[in-house]
Amino acid sequence: MRRALAAIAATGGVLALLAGSPYPLDVQRLAKAVAREDDHVTAVELAAWIRGRKPGLRIIDLRTPAEFKDYHLPRAENVAIDALTSTPFRSDETIVLVSGAGGHAAQGWVFLQALGHRNVFFLRGGQDEWLEAMKQQPEIGRYFGGVRRRDGC
Amino acid sequence: MSKPYSDPYLAGTGLGLTLLAAFALAGRGLGASGAFTSVAARFVDAPPLHRSDWLLFEIGGVFVGGFLSALAAGRFRLVLERAPRMALAFLGGAVMGLGAVLARGCTSGLALTGGALLSVGSWLFMIAAFAGAYLLAPLVKRAWR
Amino acid sequence: MITAIAIGIAFGWFLERAGLGNARKLAGQFYLTDLTVFKVMFSAIVTAMLGAFWLSRLGVLDLAAVYVPETYLLPQLAGGLLFGAGFVVAGLCPGTSCVAAATGRGDGALVMLGMFAGVLVTGLAFAPLAAFYESSAQGSLTFPQLLRVPYGVVVFGVVAIALSMFAAAERWERRAQ
Repeated sequence: MRRALAAIAATGGVLALLAGSPYPLDVQRLAKAVAREDDHVTAVELAAWIRGRKPGLRIIDLRTPAEFKDYHLPRAENVAIDALTSTPFRSDETIVLVSGAGGHAAQGWVFLQALGHRNVFFLRGGQDEWLEAMKQQPEIGRYFGGVRRRDGC
Repeated sequence: MSKPYSDPYLAGTGLGLTLLAAFALAGRGLGASGAFTSVAARFVDAPPLHRSDWLLFEIGGVFVGGFLSALAAGRFRLVLERAPRMALAFLGGAVMGLGAVLARGCTSGLALTGGALLSVGSWLFMIAAFAGAYLLAPLVKRAWR
Repeated sequence: MITAIAIGIAFGWFLERAGLGNARKLAGQFYLTDLTVFKVMFSAIVTAMLGAFWLSRLGVLDLAAVYVPETYLLPQLAGGLLFGAGFVVAGLCPGTSCVAAATGRGDGALVMLGMFAGVLVTGLAFAPLAAFYESSAQGSLTFPQLLRVPYGVVVFGVVAIALSMFAAAERWERRAQ
């Protein structure tokens, strides 16, 4: 009986090596989240989070390094979309994905949800929406130090 | 004559399946020290003393389950230890209470639950607990005669 | 809440079945005369870990929806050492003390009272501990995240370590005869 238990455990353990991620991709749940608009944030909401120093906030910029260098959100990190899935995130972190117009960021949202991350959002209109918001809402623009921000600050 | 204890691997597997059922049915694991902090929270208002009705119900079940198993195996027996052992039981319990509050759990909530869920802090707690016990064991050996 | 009671009943049942409602038997672990504590704990951990992994992998359970106990490195290290010290003195932990009391053992009831007293006093005297209590928080950090390896790799590692240690435990107990 002990041998049977040990054999089951050993089999389960070895197969786990080959099994891939245990986190299920429940498309129904994801679709509902998208319909409820729980999947994204607006530039205004994100600005509020940054100003309010939301704990555990991580802004992930999925654009090319050249685009990132030209201008990026404060405290954003540049990660390539195919490196996103191997980037470690803690479950107490709030991840906000940013891309040019939001397309890659929305795809990245699905990837991270599939890996079990629940506290993930993407910036709805991407970098473009952020820049628009900074122009349209001067209080935000002033807080974030003008429109253009070079890498290194 | 009471029945012998179950094979520990078998009982452990049963315990593991119980824990798994908790994951599936309640989205959480087991707990014990949390029930104690829940009761204490009614008397003292302090940040680490969280109230949990779930744990109170669960620990009630633990009493019932332990009692039923002992009854079924003919192992129920009123036993009072000598005064020194009883005093050490109280003292050990008190120190465990402090440790459990600091760590946010005990062997049930951290070692078993967190262990199965691969929580780093839970494994750290479990290793530290075994270490603390083994380190102190020689000093209290006489009490266990 | 019925779920909680039912799970508690099963919890208490299996603890008593294994003999973990008996302080002397439990204490034997720390004198290496009786390794039941280790065998029960790790069988339970391996069973639940494999069960959770595979049920989630097969879409029956949502592992991401299960609450993972949070990591606080320093408080859990210190709390663990203290807990272990108290454990070897009392011979029972919070859960097993309830089982012991429920099976008629007076020392079980005293461990429970002691636990309660310890928790109360810690709550009352909490202010100086507050900063330490909140230190080194890492959220629901898991080993796959920390080591940056796939979940299944850690599962395999735990199974491998557990099975080796079970074999070693059996050899040890045979040797002591």
